[in-house]
Amino acid sequence: MSGGRYMADGKSQSLFREKPIKVLLAKPGIDGHDRGVLVLAKAFRDAGMEVLYVGLLPTPEDVVDTAINEDVDVIALSLLNGAHLTVFRKVMDIMKNKGIDDISVVGGGTIPDEDKPELEALGISGNYGPGTPLSTIIEHVRMRAEEARIKKLR
Amino acid sequence: MVEGVVRSDRRSIARAISYMEDGHTEIKKEIMEKLYSHCGKAHVVGITGPPGIGKSTLIGNISVLLAKKGMNVSVLAVDASSPYSGGSLLGNRIRMQENLFNYGIYMRSLANRGARGGLSESCMGAVNVLDASGSEIILIETVGAGQADLDIMNLADTTILVLGPGLGDQIQAIKAGIMEIADLFVINKMDIDGSYFAMKDIEEVISMDDPRGYKRRVTGTSATDHAGYDELVGTILDHGRYLSGEGTIGRKRFLMGARWILESEIGRIIIDPAMDAIKKKGTDRNPYVLAEKIISQLNAEISKEL
Ligand code: B12
Ligand SMILES: Nc1nc2c(ncn2[C@@H]2O[C@H](COP(=O)(O)OP(=O)(O)OP(=O)(O)O)[C@@H](O)[C@H]2O)c(=O)[nH]1
Ligand SMILES: [Mg+2]
Repeated sequence: MSGGRYMADGKSQSLFREKPIKVLLAKPGIDGHDRGVLVLAKAFRDAGMEVLYVGLLPTPEDVVDTAINEDVDVIALSLLNGAHLTVFRKVMDIMKNKGIDDISVVGGGTIPDEDKPELEALGISGNYGPGTPLSTIIEHVRMRAEEARIKKLR
Repeated sequence: MVEGVVRSDRRSIARAISYMEDGHTEIKKEIMEKLYSHCGKAHVVGITGPPGIGKSTLIGNISVLLAKKGMNVSVLAVDASSPYSGGSLLGNRIRMQENLFNYGIYMRSLANRGARGGLSESCMGAVNVLDASGSEIILIETVGAGQADLDIMNLADTTILVLGPGLGDQIQAIKAGIMEIADLFVINKMDIDGSYFAMKDIEEVISMDDPRGYKRRVTGTSATDHAGYDELVGTILDHGRYLSGEGTIGRKRFLMGARWILESEIGRIIIDPAMDAIKKKGTDRNPYVLAEKIISQLNAEISKEL
């Protein structure tokens, strides 16, 4: 477990004890492929994270509101229906409008390589597809959570 | 942040609760002290009962009815953390979120992080944050309760025990502990066979209550038929009015707050200096008698006027 490694050196550090990473898993959009997110939910829990799964079909607005109310570190978006460019962008737009920059967003599902630069430019990283080792995904989420934590301590 | 909480700003509320979960004791104390002057209005309702009995679904349904009455409602739900990884699947939200989304109700999931007793350590702090933010009624779901998960009675003004059909022997175990702490009872899943017997069972128990105290009630509910919720909300508000009449709303939280400070300080303020004093004595003295002596001196000090 590395729940506490997120701490950068800094004077606000003492405000927090070691705490588990909190992740929101969401499938915003009409997409019934939920096996992947359910696998991830268990994998994240077993990696020591606190995991919220909001199920199929929450709107991008609901996703962002939930992330705020639950004060998560990372939003993990999953789509296997090809709508990722539109829907993921919508989530980022709402976050921007609300001025939220201390929650990291990662993506995944069936995302063609040619779409990845565009998602990256929006601030959505990872974008892992079928066959990615879970350890790679977990490491990535930890890294992005660490970034979010540092911003939260500002 | 405290100003944000009082303004009812969602991000401030969420962050303040995170401090209650993750902050050091010093920070938590500072925030709680600042918030307390804004607290005291909320009616705290604890909802406990065995795993899978329908607590989350029930909260989703009654929170909406309360919101429709124009009340400011919020929800805290505690999930168990894995003892192996420390992680947690926070599964209560998904059972209630649709209703919460539609009515803009604030809901927060808390992992118990190994705390026993059905709550998380952060619960009291989180309740104070919500109270200070203007919540009039705060619904708390405990971790699926066994016999010993009784912490909710020290925090909630009203404790509701949810039971249902088919609990069999489990109900006997539950009766032993939790029955006494409940102010109200619910038999959920009234659409399923056997619920009638569960209802009778509880009615029998509460018929033996002391007639001079609050008359406890049992309500049957069903998510499938969307039945019983209006009645349940009525009994909750009625119990709240009863407590207000007695002047005891918020009383438990008041005591819990004081106890929390005392317990967190007892080592540093009392045990450490007492041990220093004892260390100066030789082994020819009796350690049991020395400790008793310190205790009686402290007792004399405590009985003085505050
Ligand atoms: C199983 C399956 C189904 C099942 C789904 C069952 C379920 N409850 O999940 C059923 C049969 C219902 C189904 C239906 C359909 N499917 Co289908 N399905 C698949 C299949 C074969 C495997 C998906 C799967 O479960 N994989 C196993 C899990 C564990 O892996 P995963 O979901 O990929 O997730 C992993 C990674 O992608 C990654 N990941 C996923 N999300 C995220 C998120 C983050 C943040 C990160 C970091 C990582 C990450 O990590 C996960 C764990 O390793 C894929 C093809 C494929 N090989 O991917 C097609 C596929 C996804 N389906 C497809 C289609 C078109 C459909 C249908 C529209 C009709 C059809 N032609 O079959 C319907 C639509 C259903 C609906 N309502 O949405 C297409 C989608 C094409 C596209 N993207 O445009 C695919 C790609 C097949 C294809 N090549 O055409 N499907
Ligand atoms: N038939 C029937 N099923 C119900 C009723 N209420 C809830 N359920 C179902 O019971 C299951 C558990 O419901 P939850 O609300 O998650 O129960 P819970 O007590 O919160 O569960 P834990 O938090 O895991 O302890 C779900 O499948 C619900 O759909 C009801 O009144 N009747
Ligand atoms: Mg529940």
